[in-house]
Amino acid sequence: MVVQIGVPFVQKFELPSLKYRWARYSWAMFSRPGPRYEIRLFRTRAEGPSEPIPEIRRYVRGYRSPDPMSLYAPYWTEDELLDRLARLVTHIARDRRDGYTYVAEVRWLAYQRADLPLRTELRADSAR
Amino acid sequence: MPTPRGRGPEWAQAEGWFASVPAYRLASFRVVLAVATLIFHVPKFNGFIRDYVSSEFHVGPALGGLPILSPVAGLALPLLHWVTATGLLLGVWPRTCAWFLAVAGAWVLLLDPEHYSHGAQFHLTLLALAGCSTDGVSLSRLLREDEGAARCPGWPELLVRFQVAIVFFYAALDKVISPAWGLKGTGLPALRMADHGPGLGLVQRANRALLHVIPGALSVGTILTEFLLAAAAVVPRLWRVGLFAGLTFVVSIEFLLQPGLFAWDLLVAGLVFLPAGDRSWKMVYAPGCGACRRNRAILSRLDWLRRLQWVICAERVPTSAATGFAGMSTWWRLRLESPRGRAFCGLAALRVLPAIVLPPLIIALLVARFGGEFFTRRGYGPWEDLPFLLLGAYLASWLPEVSRWWRGDRPLSAATGCAHEGRVEYP
Repeated sequence: MVVQIGVPFVQKFELPSLKYRWARYSWAMFSRPGPRYEIRLFRTRAEGPSEPIPEIRRYVRGYRSPDPMSLYAPYWTEDELLDRLARLVTHIARDRRDGYTYVAEVRWLAYQRADLPLRTELRADSAR
Repeated sequence: MPTPRGRGPEWAQAEGWFASVPAYRLASFRVVLAVATLIFHVPKFNGFIRDYVSSEFHVGPALGGLPILSPVAGLALPLLHWVTATGLLLGVWPRTCAWFLAVAGAWVLLLDPEHYSHGAQFHLTLLALAGCSTDGVSLSRLLREDEGAARCPGWPELLVRFQVAIVFFYAALDKVISPAWGLKGTGLPALRMADHGPGLGLVQRANRALLHVIPGALSVGTILTEFLLAAAAVVPRLWRVGLFAGLTFVVSIEFLLQPGLFAWDLLVAGLVFLPAGDRSWKMVYAPGCGACRRNRAILSRLDWLRRLQWVICAERVPTSAATGFAGMSTWWRLRLESPRGRAFCGLAALRVLPAIVLPPLIIALLVARFGGEFFTRRGYGPWEDLPFLLLGAYLASWLPEVSRWWRGDRPLSAATGCAHEGRVEYP
């Protein structure tokens, strides 16, 4: 009971200031309109065209390349999302070692944090 | 017997945390929860496991030090999910099965932030609480007619009620402070609303328009309802109003948003607020009447909460007179008497029965909803609307009564279907 009451409270209200924040494990059902966004995963070389990332399903299930995907983040923040994509392209670049640049392009569609640019590009160079 | 004023309904008179309560309520709760687990939770979480194991890339678990899923565990866990959910349903080592599902589910939930949802967290919490129950009533026993005397400690029920209160309290509190809700409800038009088939889609379009026209009123209404439900979950005096408000709220969010299992889990948790083991509804029947025997054979298997008492009104009824004795000249030979002595016959009795045989009814609706979604996803039409169509048919059965009431012919309370039957004298 203490855990069930205490954990959501501490998640919801930052200690010691008690400032409110949206938090995942705090029974905040539908209280925040999750950001809508579009991502495109691809690789490119120098000024060349964007190419599909080979074997994308081996790296991550549910994503495709290079076509854009419209997604929705009901339970995670914009920073978490950008961090995940940055790690993903870094992981792929490190694994492939083919001289390409691996890119995750994020375009925010709606309900994102006001201080974010509308488009963010996360790049990772793959050394040969 | 009348309920003492201010103490709430008779069935809610708890006698402390360790009081003994009818075991059928927790057993019904567990069985319905197991069905929800089998048809939604297990397939969803097994999908997470399959995707996790087949992906090379992972972010770190939400909890530091949590072991990641190995390929062997990725093969074994889905199988164990099916086995334990089936065990929970049948009542074979139900506590072990419930705890296994709760702990394994929490592990999968924390492996990746993308696995998280409030609905999943609530379902896992309910599984853990089902794991506390020592009701000892298996599914086969629920389906058999018995004397209804099984009892068990009531504290797991209390925990479920407190859990419901905690969820609604924090959900309401969050909406008070959240910039998207509050008095203005500016974020409400951003809600991702469910799509429905023809007919119901029209209602949904009206709802969408309403969200744009009066978001503030809807926001305040939602917040007040959630606070009311939080209070009602722990104050027995408010249970009757809480059950009505809760059912309306659950149907509304399921229709508007279809948030996975969440609305259904609230419905399942609602079972621990119902009376059980009281045999306070009398079902009048005659052993010599075939329709009566059939009614008993069906309804006694659906009476999981042990609310029906079978009362013989005549030992032997000649076939020719089978439609002529008290209460039995109605459709389906149904005559039901409420705990307050009010009689319902025929269609009116059928309209009352869903409130009595609620656990199996929820199972039927769960199967209709998620079985329907299975077909909808494969392009066979909007079958996931089936529960709403059934609800619509149920409400439509009231239309003749509402029409009579509207014309001033008779009040709704007189819609018992027994107008010409008189009172039954039992031998």
